[in-house]
Amino acid sequence: MPTTIIIGLILLVAAVWVISTYNFFVSSKARIKAAIQEIGNQLKRQADLIPNLESSTKGYLTHEKGIFEDLTNARRDIANAVESGDVQKMADAGARLASVIPSFKIAVEDNPELKASEVVTKLMDELRDTSDKIMYARRLVIDLTVDYNVRRVTMPSSIVAGMFGFSELPGLITPEKGGHTEVSEAETKTPKVKL
Amino acid sequence: MENIYEVASSNKRKSFLIIVFFAFFVGLSIYLLSQALGYYWGYEPGGLGVMGFALILSGLLSFGGYYFSDSIVLTISGARPADKNRDFNFYTTVENLCIASDLPKPRLYIIEDTATNAFATGRDPKHAVICATSGLLDKLSRTELEGVIAHEITHIKNYDTRLMSVVAVLVGTVALLGDWLLRARWRGRSSRDSGSAGAIILLLGIVFAVLSPIIAQFIQLAISRRREFMADAGSVSITRQPAGLIAALKKISQDHEPLEAANKATAHLFIVNPFKDKRTSSVGWFANLFNTHPPIKERIAALNKMT
Repeated sequence: MPTTIIIGLILLVAAVWVISTYNFFVSSKARIKAAIQEIGNQLKRQADLIPNLESSTKGYLTHEKGIFEDLTNARRDIANAVESGDVQKMADAGARLASVIPSFKIAVEDNPELKASEVVTKLMDELRDTSDKIMYARRLVIDLTVDYNVRRVTMPSSIVAGMFGFSELPGLITPEKGGHTEVSEAETKTPKVKL
Repeated sequence: MENIYEVASSNKRKSFLIIVFFAFFVGLSIYLLSQALGYYWGYEPGGLGVMGFALILSGLLSFGGYYFSDSIVLTISGARPADKNRDFNFYTTVENLCIASDLPKPRLYIIEDTATNAFATGRDPKHAVICATSGLLDKLSRTELEGVIAHEITHIKNYDTRLMSVVAVLVGTVALLGDWLLRARWRGRSSRDSGSAGAIILLLGIVFAVLSPIIAQFIQLAISRRREFMADAGSVSITRQPAGLIAALKKISQDHEPLEAANKATAHLFIVNPFKDKRTSSVGWFANLFNTHPPIKERIAALNKMT
């Protein structure tokens, strides 16, 4: 009977589609989890670089004690956050460290002896590279989460998502209110550079 | 201004359409040519035997090149493996962009050549190779280099080596069949009873034998150009910094030195056409037909539209 064969074929195609869509959601979840672990991994790498930086620059930057204190605190936060495994804590601790680094960089740039030191240049390169790595690890979490969440709500994959009850994933939480969504008056002005 | 997600999906759609058209055209030419050849050889039913033979021969020839594409790069003179300390920017940007695109880190090589170019190859992401010239690494800043590397990583992610190899096999098959038909010694075969139908098939076969290899190559180049636009868009979706790739393309286009290590088969994998002959400077759609890469001006214009 050709009709039964046709119906059978349609059912087979439908089953294959449901299975592959289900697999997409499950593997996406696993990949997002791995990507979040990668952020922690890179943050830890960044934190581990700091003691080296401190020991090779401390002798020169005796009057910049505040910076070193900030660096040490940020480093301890990262270690705690990575241990807790909480994405949001990791992101916060990473941001705290990222805010200290520019002032540290300026201090190094201002010191001709440090600027010329190959060890310090190398460490600063590593630091920049690690913060890039953290940025890209975060980007991956965001991209994977978008992919997952879009497939979850769009037809026809939303049918499978509904069938197996896949819930929306938060990815990286950035507060929707707060400083970063506002532009202060000073920021709207063109910056003046004195030469 | 176009959103990067829209650009990516529109590129995918256009690329898919060209490939479908290509497959249809190649299928038709191969069918017609093998019918004509089959008729000529007195080998009537279907002619699939001839077609199959042509496919196998051209497939075997190209498969070697495709499967070993990552090791062939090693035989290119002067390519040395990249070292993390010596080539810090190259090595670490590749590491970073692989984190962002969730790919294993490809093997990295450097060609000691002052020409500015880079290419990616390998049959799948696990066997991928990215190769850059030392000229490129010297002249580009880290942000510009990121744009170029992200372009190459998109080629890897999209399996462009695989796609272009399959396309090359098919173009080769069409050319091979056409060649056979044109070289066949034409003697009178009046004894055949299905005279007029056979004559039409032979005539069509000859027309296709002359035209289809050329047309198939044009479509092949069109696919290659479309994949370049895709890789540019993919680069921006990884780095979110069109400015980096734009600056890099401008710098690269000012350099007019051809790269000796490149050949016709790998030209489509480079960031810009490695030959840089006079033809690339001429404008217009006709000159464009012969190029593996879209003109840099058009690529920059497309990048400028992205947000």
